[in-house]
Amino acid sequence: MGKSLMIVDDSATMRKIIMRTVRMSGLEFDRTEEAGSGVEALQKLEAGAVDVILCDVNMPEMNGTEMVKKAREMASCNGTKIVMVSTESGQDLIDQVMADGADGYITKPFTPEKFQEKLAPLLN
Amino acid sequence: MMTTVSLQDHVLDSAREVFETMVFMALEEAQDEGPTMEDKTLLGTITFKGRVEGCLGIGCGANCALMIASNMLGMDPSEGISEDDVNDAVGEIANMVMGAIKARIQDEVGNIDVSIPSVVQGLELRNSLGDKANEIVVNGNLEEEHLIRFSLLYRENEG
Repeated sequence: MGKSLMIVDDSATMRKIIMRTVRMSGLEFDRTEEAGSGVEALQKLEAGAVDVILCDVNMPEMNGTEMVKKAREMASCNGTKIVMVSTESGQDLIDQVMADGADGYITKPFTPEKFQEKLAPLLN
Repeated sequence: MMTTVSLQDHVLDSAREVFETMVFMALEEAQDEGPTMEDKTLLGTITFKGRVEGCLGIGCGANCALMIASNMLGMDPSEGISEDDVNDAVGEIANMVMGAIKARIQDEVGNIDVSIPSVVQGLELRNSLGDKANEIVVNGNLEEEHLIRFSLLYRENEG
């Protein structure tokens, strides 16, 4: 069965760049979705879960760490892998968001190889 | 405390890292005889606060910004890249360069909180931080074709 991906970032351009980088990494998803905020992402997840979420940290309205906590309270997201994608590289923040339920962390700037390295193990 | 020399290096190294990784373009420190700034410019700014507070501004010409956006998106400039995409791309560059600078200085200055970037278009735009601000300016030469200006304004927070 094919895998599904959701990209959550307030920048539409960054969502396109992430999508392009995922494609360049060689990873394949049958279904992809986008959300411009944590709130929009949670609304979409209520309608249907995805296998992998790539989520920004610094977003207006609801930041990524808050979105991870709320997603982890949703039964439909039990099997969903959440990987944060952010310019923030402080170890305290990374430790906190991993404790809150994220499965991985990719710092910007990123490469297709980094996506392959972080995402491929989660898809198996 | 940070020195002007080390900060200058951090700004240039951070910008190089971002342009090589995400924009697929070579960035070198501009020399006097290099390209000049176009009249119509975009300025991406992002602020930060902590023990050190300030603002990073990235200024470039409209054609330079279009080239940056097209490279980041993997599109040809003639494919009709929207103004929103161009603005967004410059904002993301500011965001990533600031993130890379933060990673390089946080051992020295502690954690700093970074804002969400904003972008404006106009003529001869500059960022400002009022009195008592130090300024680091790095002029970059992008692919021997465009001038891009990085301005880091900062001051120690005494509060």
